[in-house]
Amino acid sequence: MPEQFIAPSIDWFALSPYLVMVAGALGLLVVGALTPRWPRGLYSLVSALTATSAGVLAVFIWNDVAEMGPGTLVGGALSHDAFAQFVTIAVCAATALVALVTDAEVRGTVLEGPEIHALLLTAATGAMVMGASNDLIVLFLGLETLSLALYVLAASERTAAGQEAGMKYFILGGLASAVFLYGIALLYGGARSTNLGEIVARFQSTVALERNDSLVLAGLALLIVGLGFKVAAAPFHVWSPDVYQGAPTHVTAFMASVGKAAAFAAMLRVLVIALPFHRDDWRPVIWVLAIASLVIGSTLAVVQTDVKRMLAFSSVSHAGFLLVGVEAAGHRAGEQISGDGLESVLVYLALYSVLVVGTFSIVAVVSRHAGGSTDISVFAGLGRRRPVLALALTILLLAQAGVPLTSGFVAKWGVIQSAVAERSYAIAIIAMVSAVIAAFLYLRIMVSAWLADPSEVEPEPVPAMTGVAIALAAAVTLVVGVYPELLLGWTDAVSNFAR
Amino acid sequence: MFPLLILHVVLGAVVVALGDRLGRRAFAVAAIAPAATLAWLIPQLGGIVDGDPVTSSISWVSGLDLALELRADAFSAVMLLLVSVIGLAVCAYALGYFGAGKAGVGRLAGLMTIFAGSMSGLVLSDHLLSLFVFWELTSVTSYLLIGNDDTNPRARDAGLQALLITGSGGLVMLAGLVLLGQSAGTYRLSELVASPPAGAVSTTALMLVLIGAFTKSAQWPFSSWLPGAMVAPTPISTYLHAATMVKAGVYLVARLAPVFATTAGWRPVVLAVGSVTMIVGGWRALRQVDLKVLLAHGTVSQLGFMMILVGAGTYGLAQAAVVVLLAHGAFKAALFMVVGVIDHQTHTRDIRRLAGFGPGWGSVKVTAVLAAASMAGVPPLLGFIAKEKALLSAIDGHFIGAWWVVAAIVVGSVLTFSYSARFVLGVFGRLTDESAVDAEHPLVGPEVAVPSRAFTAPGLILAVFSLAAGLAPVLVDSLVAEATRSLHPEAKPKAVVLWAGFNSALALSVIVIAVGVVAALAGRRVEAAQTAFHRPVAKLPTADRSFWVLLQSVLRAAKRTTRIVQNGSLPIYLMVILGVSALAPIVPAATGLDELPVFADTWLHIPLAALIVAAAVGSTIVHRRIAAALMLGAAGYGMAGLYVVQGAPDLALTQFAIETLATVLFVLVLQVLPRTFTDRSAAVIAPVRIVVAAAVGVSVFVFSLAASQSRADVDQASISAEMLERSVPDGKGANVVNVILVDFRGLDTLGEITVLLVAGLGVVALARTVHRKRLETTSLVPSPVVDASARVLFASILALSIYFLFAGHNQPGGGFVGGLTAGAAISLLYIAGGNPAVRRLLPVRPWTVLGGGLLIAVVTAIVPILLGGAVLEHALFEAELPLLGKIKTTSALPFDIGVFLVVIGLVLMAYEAFGDDPEDSEDSAGSRAVVTS
Repeated sequence: MPEQFIAPSIDWFALSPYLVMVAGALGLLVVGALTPRWPRGLYSLVSALTATSAGVLAVFIWNDVAEMGPGTLVGGALSHDAFAQFVTIAVCAATALVALVTDAEVRGTVLEGPEIHALLLTAATGAMVMGASNDLIVLFLGLETLSLALYVLAASERTAAGQEAGMKYFILGGLASAVFLYGIALLYGGARSTNLGEIVARFQSTVALERNDSLVLAGLALLIVGLGFKVAAAPFHVWSPDVYQGAPTHVTAFMASVGKAAAFAAMLRVLVIALPFHRDDWRPVIWVLAIASLVIGSTLAVVQTDVKRMLAFSSVSHAGFLLVGVEAAGHRAGEQISGDGLESVLVYLALYSVLVVGTFSIVAVVSRHAGGSTDISVFAGLGRRRPVLALALTILLLAQAGVPLTSGFVAKWGVIQSAVAERSYAIAIIAMVSAVIAAFLYLRIMVSAWLADPSEVEPEPVPAMTGVAIALAAAVTLVVGVYPELLLGWTDAVSNFAR
Repeated sequence: MFPLLILHVVLGAVVVALGDRLGRRAFAVAAIAPAATLAWLIPQLGGIVDGDPVTSSISWVSGLDLALELRADAFSAVMLLLVSVIGLAVCAYALGYFGAGKAGVGRLAGLMTIFAGSMSGLVLSDHLLSLFVFWELTSVTSYLLIGNDDTNPRARDAGLQALLITGSGGLVMLAGLVLLGQSAGTYRLSELVASPPAGAVSTTALMLVLIGAFTKSAQWPFSSWLPGAMVAPTPISTYLHAATMVKAGVYLVARLAPVFATTAGWRPVVLAVGSVTMIVGGWRALRQVDLKVLLAHGTVSQLGFMMILVGAGTYGLAQAAVVVLLAHGAFKAALFMVVGVIDHQTHTRDIRRLAGFGPGWGSVKVTAVLAAASMAGVPPLLGFIAKEKALLSAIDGHFIGAWWVVAAIVVGSVLTFSYSARFVLGVFGRLTDESAVDAEHPLVGPEVAVPSRAFTAPGLILAVFSLAAGLAPVLVDSLVAEATRSLHPEAKPKAVVLWAGFNSALALSVIVIAVGVVAALAGRRVEAAQTAFHRPVAKLPTADRSFWVLLQSVLRAAKRTTRIVQNGSLPIYLMVILGVSALAPIVPAATGLDELPVFADTWLHIPLAALIVAAAVGSTIVHRRIAAALMLGAAGYGMAGLYVVQGAPDLALTQFAIETLATVLFVLVLQVLPRTFTDRSAAVIAPVRIVVAAAVGVSVFVFSLAASQSRADVDQASISAEMLERSVPDGKGANVVNVILVDFRGLDTLGEITVLLVAGLGVVALARTVHRKRLETTSLVPSPVVDASARVLFASILALSIYFLFAGHNQPGGGFVGGLTAGAAISLLYIAGGNPAVRRLLPVRPWTVLGGGLLIAVVTAIVPILLGGAVLEHALFEAELPLLGKIKTTSALPFDIGVFLVVIGLVLMAYEAFGDDPEDSEDSAGSRAVVTS
């Protein structure tokens, strides 16, 4: 007789960030629909506050985790560990910034209303679930919640380019999700569980020679394809330039920050946490993806003329950097002393999320004024028209390039350091060289902003809330760049994850 | 030292930001930076010359183990002196060079200051990576300074060429530096040369570093960018492209050579490249008619000379190199300033049009003669001392190739003397040529306006320094000696003196000067010989031409690749992703295959499989869209048939319902698309598509085989058996599939229907944004017969769906299947009468149904918690009802009803959103409808 079904106990406080986000989304929809149009900016403020409070709750939960050690929630469906809280905080920070920027972007269009903010919060919840998932099915649920909301957001603008972007993202994303799901199914066939902890236990207890790995490996390959698509790693990046360019800029910012952070968190969960015993199988694949992303991202970025496309390719190269960290984490996945790979990826994600939102916010301000054009020529003379904005842009681009004294350097250095520590010299050197190549791309934008002849254009108006978001992003970029200890002391705990 | 670097950056940024507001006074502000460097350096110089380097380490991030290590020893001090003294001179000179109100001057001054900061950082860095960062910063500022006049395409091209050559050389160097640092275990330059690594890795690393140094210091064959860079304003050329930046490569080689010169390949490479550069540069300089370009080729030649001296790795030659560095900095800067003065006053630099200047030009002439004499190596100038020292040390050099070095220096010096003479003769107007003079380009002569004192003074001062240091080399002797020791700690440098007695070096100098004088006197004949020599050579590709050809082809290849791979075509993107995901897992899957399984259990499998295969192939061949959709449906029905044969009625039922619904929806959407597929892609794409499709098919096939084999060795009892056992006692239902859905994995189902709801939101939002025209073809003729029969059928199918819903827990069926069946019924209504008919019979809004369904499911999940149970804990109810008899149900039923409603709501919504007469949705759909749920 099988044992009695035991209901999962639920720690409501530990789930509070998700509940706050969902409540925020539903509240916006319900209250927003019942009341007449709110005063300007209030929708944005409410969603930014929702995201912020979820992030603050995650900090408190982190304290709990630090005191009581990691565990799982809802019958092993979600992890209750510092890793999850870190991802939650990063996602919430980026979401709050995007929410602030969104206000000015949708003002005066049919989209001015609570729906778009509800979608942002929903997507962010999906991202948080992905970061915390301890079960492949839950991971997939999070992925779909995030992706579906993103498809809609990508197509939310009534332009041909926006529609095309949404359509492409939807079809290719749907395919990737299907591939991912197939991968889960095959992995389940091999591991006989979708729970990460049970998967690890399963492979721990079987001798490598005895197990039939063909299903696991095939499933692993498909999982990597699906995740590779979501993180926009070459050669699965083909969608990203078109979609980044076509989608509304604030949505692009969200995709590049929250979307990427969640997908990488999921990748770490699946590869490093769930499948450490197959690290010698997946690490070479990640190695190839990393190098392809670095090289393709940085070289193709340089020949673009549209700033959003440039940044799309640059985000491919950032994905390459993150994969360098994943590869480094793969060397000692599952060991007691696991090295710095995982930690460096998470730090990179958090810092990149903030600075990429800032960058795209400035692109949004400039392109809105130029009638929606994001050609590099519209940035010409920005230094004359809006010196402070141009300064913020410079700081953020320097950070993207990984220049010292910005957070981007801390991020890149950490990843390369962890690769070097694992003696992955080739990948570290390629990463550094591609960083220098990519630096010329950012330089081009900066040169255009500061040195190009100013054409007689009115200075672009900077909406207050967008200005706040940009200032926050730039401030974080600088403060973390100058005092990285602030962040680094904090992140040591994240490798102590639950499963 | 660190505040000094910060000062440069801040000052530069401020000057750039102020833009043209300062006018040419920007250079006066910019002069603060080199003045500050000097003010810092001079008090320290005593200690440095005593062999006591100044170090400073800015520990920045303790956690990252990072610090900015700066170290000023005597060799760095020599470079720093060059940077600051010539920087000051150039700033003073620029005040005269730039007229008032010229645009872009402020930017030049600011960038020059940032450059000076980077260059100072470069020579002060004691860490390989920070050295690299400063190295690339000098490349970048050089690019910006050359291309400052962005309306001039020549300036842009030259800037780009310089950036690409030095920048990519820098990249190669970076790889070398990392390898070097890794194999040495330290990135500190001072520690590296104290305990140098050896082995194949470090040899490779050194070669990579050398390539970087060669590109930066314009060594052949990377020298083509330097003459091109002469489009920059003369103060910039003076500073960057003569006196300081181009010496960065020499500097780095000088640092490494003492310990690495004996490494395999080092000396042959460095000495050969340096010699060729020295001779080719000098040869080319002799042919120029533009004074500035002549000097640029002369700089290339001199850089080759320096490369030989520092690369050989003996302390004697290193000492000579330090003297050459100082001498070259002084005379080349002075010569450039002379050219700038001439250019500024006459607007030409063509020696064929210069007919000599009047009496007011005395100081310019003195400058030109002194500096050129120093360059030519004529006593008693500093240039002579440098060359003597070099020859003497080379003759005494105990290394293979020392005599080669002597020969190269002698040949190079003859050429140097010749082009120095050519320069002086050109300035004095002795090389006029009628063929270059016409009405638009007249001869310029003594009538030209006299330049101001302030304008000519900086050059004169530098030229006088060449003379003073030549007459009294003791001025620089102790610094030079200590700089040599800082490179070669074991060195015992002799004093630099003007008169070293009669020796072989002096004899060689006499020969050089004699041959040079003869060549200068026979100038016309030398020119003729050169022209004759170059006529056949001109057909060979030069480094410059190869560079542009290479760049063009790289850009073209990049564009072509992007056009194919990144062309915005969805099918191509799909092929990339599908192709990779088909090929990636096939290898592990195939390795797991031991034997082929039995392909058909019963004869029924064969016709079903044939149906599926035929339908699948057919759907890719047919031209009409609707036919393709129907084929897909047929494949789906075939699958459902397979389920039936395998004894999985529940799966089959679901599959049937989904296929039916999907086909109807397909038809609905296809109305708005063209009737047939139009294929506009290139002919090459078709076979690629077939290959990708086949690959996907094969890999899925192999997968399935591997999957079924893996199941074979699983002990069947594990999961499915447990589910079967627990279904009735725990889930109170005999239909295991349904029990899993609503009970065992009920939470997942709840998540899934939430996702469905989000998907619904997405569908509506997408549909709302699309501007739709009214369709002409779709309005069906309302027919009473069709209408009536549709109503009857609708009722009966709906009844069936409700039966499925209620029976589901114990028999095939369930909320999901029921919902799909009801969806089919709704499709029927829609086909009969469009959306009005649907609304007439189901007067509820889709959002209400959808939201209501989710609400019911959530409440069902939560109620047990409120009652003190667990999420989705179900209770069993039995009741005796009149008419129906005994019914048995569980609290899972409401949950199933929720699922049922969500599916129906989704179908309704699809019709509302995509149907031909959507309710005007602007005001009401979306958000407001949610409220009603």
